[in-house]
Amino acid sequence: MLRANPLTFLGFVLVVLLVVAAVLVVLSPQLLVPYRATQETKAYTVPPTLLRWPPSLVHPFGTDETSFDLYSEVMLALPLDLAIGLFIAGSALLLGGALGLVAGFWDRPGTIGAVASAAILRTTDVFLAFPSLLLALAIVAALGFNLNALLLALVLTWWPYYVRLVRGEVLAIRHLPYVTAARAAGVGELRILGRHVVRNLLEPVVVYFTLDIGTVLVSFSTISFVFGAAIAYPRPPEWGNMLSTFQVNQPITHAWWLIAFPALAIFVTALAFSLFGDGLRDVLDPRTRRALVQSQGVSAAPPPSELAQPTGPAAESAGGSGP
Amino acid sequence: MTDPVLSVERLSVDYRSGTERVHAVTDVSFTIPPGRVVGIVGETGCGKSTLAQAIPRLLPEPPAEIVSGHIVFRGTDLVAVPRRRLPLVRGTGIGMIFQEPLNSLNPALRVYDQVAEAVQIRHWRDIGLLPTFRGGSKPFDYSRRPLPETSAVLSRPITPGGAVAEKAQRRLTDRLDAREEVLRYLRLVRIQDPETVLDRYPHELSGGMRQRIMIAMALSERPSLLIADEPTSALDVTIQAQVLTLMKELIDEVQASILFISHDFGVIAEIADDLGVMYAGRLVEFGPVADVFRTPRHPYTRGLLRAVPERYKSDGPLEVIPGSVPHLARLPAGCSYHPRCPLAQDLCRVDPPPALRTVKGSAERAPHQSACHFAEEVGTTP
Repeated sequence: MLRANPLTFLGFVLVVLLVVAAVLVVLSPQLLVPYRATQETKAYTVPPTLLRWPPSLVHPFGTDETSFDLYSEVMLALPLDLAIGLFIAGSALLLGGALGLVAGFWDRPGTIGAVASAAILRTTDVFLAFPSLLLALAIVAALGFNLNALLLALVLTWWPYYVRLVRGEVLAIRHLPYVTAARAAGVGELRILGRHVVRNLLEPVVVYFTLDIGTVLVSFSTISFVFGAAIAYPRPPEWGNMLSTFQVNQPITHAWWLIAFPALAIFVTALAFSLFGDGLRDVLDPRTRRALVQSQGVSAAPPPSELAQPTGPAAESAGGSGP
Repeated sequence: MTDPVLSVERLSVDYRSGTERVHAVTDVSFTIPPGRVVGIVGETGCGKSTLAQAIPRLLPEPPAEIVSGHIVFRGTDLVAVPRRRLPLVRGTGIGMIFQEPLNSLNPALRVYDQVAEAVQIRHWRDIGLLPTFRGGSKPFDYSRRPLPETSAVLSRPITPGGAVAEKAQRRLTDRLDAREEVLRYLRLVRIQDPETVLDRYPHELSGGMRQRIMIAMALSERPSLLIADEPTSALDVTIQAQVLTLMKELIDEVQASILFISHDFGVIAEIADDLGVMYAGRLVEFGPVADVFRTPRHPYTRGLLRAVPERYKSDGPLEVIPGSVPHLARLPAGCSYHPRCPLAQDLCRVDPPPALRTVKGSAERAPHQSACHFAEEVGTTP
């Protein structure tokens, strides 16, 4: 069904390829990484300018100033960058999403929920008042540049957006007739929250989340770029960091491949998750899901009774990832 | 006489918006005896829906506020029940059918999941897995007759505090039961080919189908009292007739007491035993439906009945009630109907009439009540 839209399919394939590649790099690096860096080989032994090789058949991405294979370096950075993107966006989603649910669902005037909601929202206001990238930079500057500080800084600046997003959706959903109907049927409040509210806000939130992974990667790389030049060898394998050091040591006019390929890696990853997110939107919404199946003509169910007037004839019982 | 299933006593509900207080329901009292269908009619904005949602305490409080009165359901005053215990009353105690058939179903869940949720709530409460609402000191057997065909599964003995293993065993077999139960109730509401409907999403079904599913969900919890808030108003006339016929048939089968809200006299005449007429938040007339139609005891009811178009008759224009419904935050002094009432006298402009009093000369067993100073004269004056 994902093939109904070629771009969605491309995004899906790219995401799968990236994840599989990342797993392979971690599990058995020799499959994808021809040259493994050890700390010893990455020391300066010769003047760096002599050892930069442009892309060739042996080194498809060229080599860096230590004559190390750039392709290997980019691939080695893949698991870390993906993990960083998923971790930051995921933490922000869980933290911000949970707070957003509380701030939206229990925000009734004159209750404890309203107080909690106000507290949560004013806290997000404090964070949202700063441009997020600047705030993250400031936090990293205060804590010192290392991986943990960077992760913390980005999670801290990222969660308020999820609070706002989730709370807005909850406020829109919680007064819809089907929520009242569920309440009238005797469904408990927590079950209403999970089955009727969360299930219906999942679609925009998951889409935002996948789109966000790309944004997180770019922001992470940006901060890593800003601070990265200050780091001596051995540098951590991370795309933003690579860009930063290469940009300082070798201008783009002298060795374009050193800038182009790490940047391309960031671009492709961000693009893949964006396309994937767009596709997820169509898959998660039952309305468009049936339309997708129909446009493909996967299965045509027998026509239902005259009482039922379905908008789409297909009734694929296993309609994709069911709820 | 048996205890009523529901007895609403002098209920008043306000909405607060800013400094303004809108008196949506004022001083409404009526009772629903077991197995009886009570209809409530009134114009748009007269407080019908507020009344319907106030009974199971579904109104968001605030802005709504129950100012005074009691809602006694099977011996328990729901106004006094703490909010967190209210879900125990809903569904299996008081079921509800809403007006909007599209939005009343969760768009993300298949029909099966939604009906099964209701079936499971009933089931879990029956076997004691979920706490349930036990009425007052005298539990009232509302089901005069078990539901045909569905009775086997539903009328399992209630074993609160049974062995844990037994409960776990039931939980395991629960899933299989649920599917059969859902199918039974879909058949009960005359859905053809229920197996295919199970896998559909609400947006794939017609309005009539969705309303049938809503009815199936409400009935599957076997409520003592079913509140139907304009269940047919949003449907086409032909579908409306189908759903109405269905409900009439089901009333005989499930034997619940029903509060049926509508703005349509025709619908009420079809379905109700007792009829209440609301105007500007007050119940102005209440009585057996035949009595109210034959001899209305409130000038508003009389005006409404005369404004109903009759087929095959076209002698002159339709009668209308002059003026419009007053704003509920700024009700006129005295009787709120006096500016539009053809029988209004000086007394009506200053003295608000009593809530409801039994009209002289009506039957004692089925009293005909009116909130008009001149209730006795309404029937006779042209």
